[in-house]
Amino acid sequence: MSFAERMLKIDRRIIFLVIGLCTLLPLLYPVGLPIKISPEVRAVYEYIESLPEGSVFLMSLDFDPASKPELYPQSVALLRHAFRKNLRVIGMTLWVSGTGLADQIMTQVAKETGKESGKDYVFLGWSPGGTAVIINMGQDLYSAFPADYNGKPTKGLPVLQGITNLRDVNYAISLGAGNPGVEAWYVFGKDKYKFELAGGCTGVMAPGLYPLLRSGQINGLIGGLRGAAEYESLIGQKGKAVAGMDAQSATHLAIIVLVVICNVFYLSLRKTARQQGQARA
Amino acid sequence: MSIETIIGAWVATGLTLFIFSFLYKDNPLFKLAENLYVGVSVGYTIVKTYDTVIVHLIWKPIVENKEWTLLIPVAIGLLMLTRYVPKAAWLSRYAFAFIVGVGSGLAIPRTISSFILKQIEDTVRPLMVLVPGEGVAFTWNLLNPASSVNTVIILIGVSSVLFYFFFSVEHTGPGKAVARTGILFLMIAFGAAFGYTVMARMSLLIGRLTDLIEFSDGSYGRPTVWLLLLTIGTLIYLSRRHQNEPPKEE
Repeated sequence: MSFAERMLKIDRRIIFLVIGLCTLLPLLYPVGLPIKISPEVRAVYEYIESLPEGSVFLMSLDFDPASKPELYPQSVALLRHAFRKNLRVIGMTLWVSGTGLADQIMTQVAKETGKESGKDYVFLGWSPGGTAVIINMGQDLYSAFPADYNGKPTKGLPVLQGITNLRDVNYAISLGAGNPGVEAWYVFGKDKYKFELAGGCTGVMAPGLYPLLRSGQINGLIGGLRGAAEYESLIGQKGKAVAGMDAQSATHLAIIVLVVICNVFYLSLRKTARQQGQARA
Repeated sequence: MSIETIIGAWVATGLTLFIFSFLYKDNPLFKLAENLYVGVSVGYTIVKTYDTVIVHLIWKPIVENKEWTLLIPVAIGLLMLTRYVPKAAWLSRYAFAFIVGVGSGLAIPRTISSFILKQIEDTVRPLMVLVPGEGVAFTWNLLNPASSVNTVIILIGVSSVLFYFFFSVEHTGPGKAVARTGILFLMIAFGAAFGYTVMARMSLLIGRLTDLIEFSDGSYGRPTVWLLLLTIGTLIYLSRRHQNEPPKEE
């Protein structure tokens, strides 16, 4: 058996080990590779920057713990920015399995920035119906969420003063890991109730959302861990996403090298087989 | 540090390592973690749904606030359960009809407007754009998604991919060239999607490894170290036991 054949039949666990080490070592010994800010992430940052104090910022955390590594850093960075700008933050989720995580994120960042529930922000929790919840909120926010996550009646909360439906929202962002998520917020929310919308999503979903970005259906897009790292850099509070970028670059490099090597071995095998065929003829 | 946080760290570390043990080979530790994951997520969803829907959106408003109109959606919802009674199963069709009717009515116009009309509008943009200071011009900047050259590329891409999926005409002659162009665009799209998928999967690995590094700290009782030793030890034990087992008779 030639070297190329042996390499193509290598135990896949060795490849797992290589990828594992390429991820682990940069996490243990970070080098701090530069992070370039993309226009789609900057657009979200600049829109929030342009909002006056007291504007209404709705954040829908449409994901569950399975997507935490990508969407948790995004939500923390966005919340830190919104609280720093003294926006009125409305948090919610369309995913029942993500309710506890969403509440934990809101509470943790609010505590860190000294914000008060009911006065500076509100977490509405989850309501059944998926996309129907968005339509219901567009008609009457209080019928979709009669009480917040802690059971306090939403009517009369200082943070919701002057807000009756989605038309009163200045900026909304859906951090989605699937359906319902960013697309649902555009189709049933922005398209009908005319508020500005941005999206945050997992890496898998990002290519599917770029057409919405180009057509102006969403004004910005934060894609995956890389997008979160860019946002953390923009707000100047580097967190888990920035820390993971070195590991991301190292694993990508390892995968590119593996793909190239595999193709080289494959081509060399094909060439050998062809030469052997010609010799026999 | 609170005891709940420490217990949480031990559980998270253990389950992560048990799931990762599948990369070596299938084993009972992986099965344990897998079944726990399914059970806990289903249990959590049932409890949250019961609390939010039955308690807060149905029981309390009807009993405490006397909102009797809520009995109408409750009755429609209950009709779904007649599926379990064969003689009354036909009643569930009313509930399904309501759901399908309302769902389609809401979704079809909005989806056509958002994903078809709006995207067609974006595909057939004017070739000449207004450039500040230059007037109407054809812009060549590939990095600007709104440039004229990108408009042409998108138009060629959409048309050629649509032609590739048009099977009523044989793909020969000029048609073959157009179909091959369509394949080229599809390959680029699949490549981009695969690249993003790799990035996403690696992000998940980074997330778990970040937690494992954090939980190797002494303040948590070093669960990463102890549970890693336990996992490796169990895998070695299972492997040895498997080797010592007599071969099964056919």
